[in-house]
Amino acid sequence: MLSFLAFSVRRAAQGFWRNRVMSLAATVTMVLMLVLLSGLVLVLSGLEAGLQFVESKVEVQAFLNDGVAPERVARLQEQVAALPEVATVTHTSKEEALADWRAQQEAQGRPDLTGLTGTNPIPASLNVKLKDPRQYGQVVEILKAPKGVVAEVLETQRVVDALVAITGVLRTVGLGVMLMVALTVLFIVVNTIRMAVMARADEIEIMRLVGASDAFIRWPFILEGLLVGLLGSLVTLGILAVAAPAISQLGSTVLREIPVGFDQRLGEQLVLLVVGAGALLGGLGATISVRSYLIK
Amino acid sequence: MPSRGRLTDAPVASVPAVAEPYVTFSHLRASLRPRAGALEAVAPAPSALTPDRPADPALARPGADATIPDLRHAAIALHDVTKVYPNGKRALIEVDLVVPEGDFIFLVGPSGAGKSTLIKLLIRDELATTGTVLVAGRDLARLRRRHVPHLRREIGIIFQDFKLLPSKTVHENVGFALEVTGTPRREVGPAVERALALVGLSAQAEQRPNQLSGGEQQRTAIARAMVHGPRIIIADEPTGNLDPLISWEIIQLLLRINELGTTVLMATHNAEVVTALRKRVVALEEGRIVRDEVGGYHRQY
Repeated sequence: MLSFLAFSVRRAAQGFWRNRVMSLAATVTMVLMLVLLSGLVLVLSGLEAGLQFVESKVEVQAFLNDGVAPERVARLQEQVAALPEVATVTHTSKEEALADWRAQQEAQGRPDLTGLTGTNPIPASLNVKLKDPRQYGQVVEILKAPKGVVAEVLETQRVVDALVAITGVLRTVGLGVMLMVALTVLFIVVNTIRMAVMARADEIEIMRLVGASDAFIRWPFILEGLLVGLLGSLVTLGILAVAAPAISQLGSTVLREIPVGFDQRLGEQLVLLVVGAGALLGGLGATISVRSYLIK
Repeated sequence: MPSRGRLTDAPVASVPAVAEPYVTFSHLRASLRPRAGALEAVAPAPSALTPDRPADPALARPGADATIPDLRHAAIALHDVTKVYPNGKRALIEVDLVVPEGDFIFLVGPSGAGKSTLIKLLIRDELATTGTVLVAGRDLARLRRRHVPHLRREIGIIFQDFKLLPSKTVHENVGFALEVTGTPRREVGPAVERALALVGLSAQAEQRPNQLSGGEQQRTAIARAMVHGPRIIIADEPTGNLDPLISWEIIQLLLRINELGTTVLMATHNAEVVTALRKRVVALEEGRIVRDEVGGYHRQY
């Protein structure tokens, strides 16, 4: 068993090196596919997280202008709370909002830049929770009615709808592209291993004649395919590790205050996914290639 | 399978009526020779040279029924074997052949007579369309796929074109046969050295095939065939690429291997060799055995 493993690993490495141009081509396309896969997973999970974040938040948020008299705000709050479709209305002061923002930034490991401005740039808000998230009724009109109180009304449901649509399209298109790229990678691996098999045609013939079992003939090539897959996933993980801060940054820039980025769980899942996909494609491609070389 | 005749049920009369058949089923038992101790003569530690040969009690004692020879004792036994290829070509037709353990036989016949097909059947590269093929006590039609490698370790095969790996040394070429069959590494070296000693190539162990003469290359191939301690050596035109003097060297080596107890089946066109040695000659023509007797090439193919 040990000699079998040593033999197979040695031959796999040997085969990879002998056929290095093709092996590297396969590895590079593997990296391309895995980067694409990780990118898709990151964006989708970012959108997903954003979606959850937004849904868990209030459905309607009215940002208040600075310096509005507190009694006007209180009157507006009572007015909205009286509506039949509204569950609760809460008031978030500028200070609370700033504290929330800082906590959020810190949770994502980003520096707190709000201290630099001297003034508090975050607006106070009225947060309306609806009984049924889809029943707005007159909430928005009433919020906008008094002049000068409300700067902007954020109807979260619209954002949610948009996010759901974007996520759906991205998932479909992304999966389609992924499938095509994966198929290409599979073909390239099959071809690479087939060349490796052909380079060893004489050896395989001798192996069969002297009574080598199928495993001895097959496994070196399957390991060679796995080697391509694992090497590809290692390079991909390297790229991701280098690019992770930038991706986090980009995610938060695009999606504003929604907390997107690498949390540990996502990181672990991504490592598993990249390594698994690489190994699967490499191993599968090689298996397809050597199937015809077995005892009839 | 009703279409497949069982060898042990076959009456003696079913052997084709050729002049003085060299062996019939009833002759078989008498011609059996013990082969234990065969390799010890040259090999200091035979247990390592024959690493995984199971002790077969059936080989140690005669069959229970004295009137029916136990063909599992024969190195090779074919009964009523016909091979039809998918393209309809009938390569072998109703072939009966028994090669007792320890025999040396020549297989002769023109190109396309079925020699290669016969060899392919023996190493189970092809399966007989009908009939029974027994090799080293195994019914090849019933042999499971995953046991085919074990059969092939009982057979050493030698080709006209040597089939050596050019990138490996003589030692590595011979060791390759053990390496790819899962022999532990520490056993490979000593076994290879014994096999090289047998063929007289110990001094050339570190050379590569392109540094060797044709005869030395063929001897390397023979060492590789012998390194498992096979029961049967099948040589397919082993002297086809060699000049007469070197051919004789190879034949002498095969004869010596045979004397040490290994059954040898040699397919050849070399009339001179066949005629000079008073050995059993089986002639194939158009897929049939047309002659099976001792000595003589008789016809020029």
